[in-house]
Amino acid sequence: MPSRLVLLALLLASAAGRVAAHHSFAAEFDASKAIRVTGTLAKVEWTNPHTYFYVDVTDEKGTVVRWACESGAPGALSRRGFKRSLLKLGDTLIVDGYRAKNGANLMDARRVTLPDGQVLSGASAGDGGPQ
Amino acid sequence: MSPTRILLAAAAVACAAFAAIPILVAQERPMQLDDTKVPKGRPAPRMANGKPDFSGYWKGTTQTRPGGNIGKDLPGWKLPLTPAGEAALKHNLTATVDPEAVCIIGGIPRHNASGLPFEVLQGNNKITFMYWYSYFRLVPFTPGLKHSDDPDPSFFGEEIGRWEGDTLVIDSIGFKDEKVWIDENANPHSDALHVVERWTRPDYNHINVETLIEDPKFYTRSFTYARTWALGEPDEQIQEYSCSENNVDAAHLGFGPGPIRPDGTRGYVDPAPLPPPVPKK
Repeated sequence: MPSRLVLLALLLASAAGRVAAHHSFAAEFDASKAIRVTGTLAKVEWTNPHTYFYVDVTDEKGTVVRWACESGAPGALSRRGFKRSLLKLGDTLIVDGYRAKNGANLMDARRVTLPDGQVLSGASAGDGGPQ
Repeated sequence: MSPTRILLAAAAVACAAFAAIPILVAQERPMQLDDTKVPKGRPAPRMANGKPDFSGYWKGTTQTRPGGNIGKDLPGWKLPLTPAGEAALKHNLTATVDPEAVCIIGGIPRHNASGLPFEVLQGNNKITFMYWYSYFRLVPFTPGLKHSDDPDPSFFGEEIGRWEGDTLVIDSIGFKDEKVWIDENANPHSDALHVVERWTRPDYNHINVETLIEDPKFYTRSFTYARTWALGEPDEQIQEYSCSENNVDAAHLGFGPGPIRPDGTRGYVDPAPLPPPVPKK
């Protein structure tokens, strides 16, 4: 419970800084489904209205599943230091975020950990999502 | 130890732990400004004709709450919907995706309630508002302009400006009634919408708008929405944004904005925490 209280407190503290984005986080993602995906970076789309990068995840049976990881617009990411050049095909990424409400292999990439330990914020600015 | 102290201590520990993670956010400039820290008193710039010059890159303030809600200035943010307005809201919530998410112009008054910055360039007979998502509106204020008898419906409406002293008044009619949300929360407006914006620049670092919203089809009475923006840095400006370049998310969006929090903003109240950060090597 304390962790939930802390999260709620941080959420409320950040409420004033929320701004409008392309669409609401809650229209696309389920905040009750926090997930971690670890896989090999297979493709990058540095595009508007969102950037996408795709990671291939291999399960215990050797089956490869591709996950689409949605992040903010290129300009927003770039201004916070999340540059396109930091994403290198073949790297192993650890992506933490929330799963799409419709069950697709699509997630909101709130936190991205690179092989060297750098942590990037992929959140879409002002989408009302978890801060 | 009191529950409040426990909470503060826990928050401090959480923040300290979080601070140890090198998340790259320090370089990002805020999209909203704390108005208590914005200097006041420097006179507003003026055009050669003596009228205030609204030109600049304008950011919302953190004092504007709730953001994105056109009912911000109403008690409990409760909009005076007619039965037809209630039905339109239900339709927006259950059968439409956010028009902006599928690259449709937000229009007025939605852009005035948005948290996104915008840029203004002003001429002698016309003023341009440029918004994120590469939308813009051009408002003429040549003396003597009148509304058309039957304007073509549009997202910004047929806009006519005029000066009342140092106040720029923009009167708009002729709005679309489909694929429009009046704010981020999916509230509706009809084609009977009439909007009167009164823009002022009280000092160098601020502009204000008082917006009158009349829509007898969907609202039982007119209501107002007031807002202040603060001036951004001189090197900030609207950036390129091609909304339909790669709109993968459009196929995954649910109807409506999702849940609305008790504070009047869109989003979840109690999201699940992310997995714990990866330990540093």
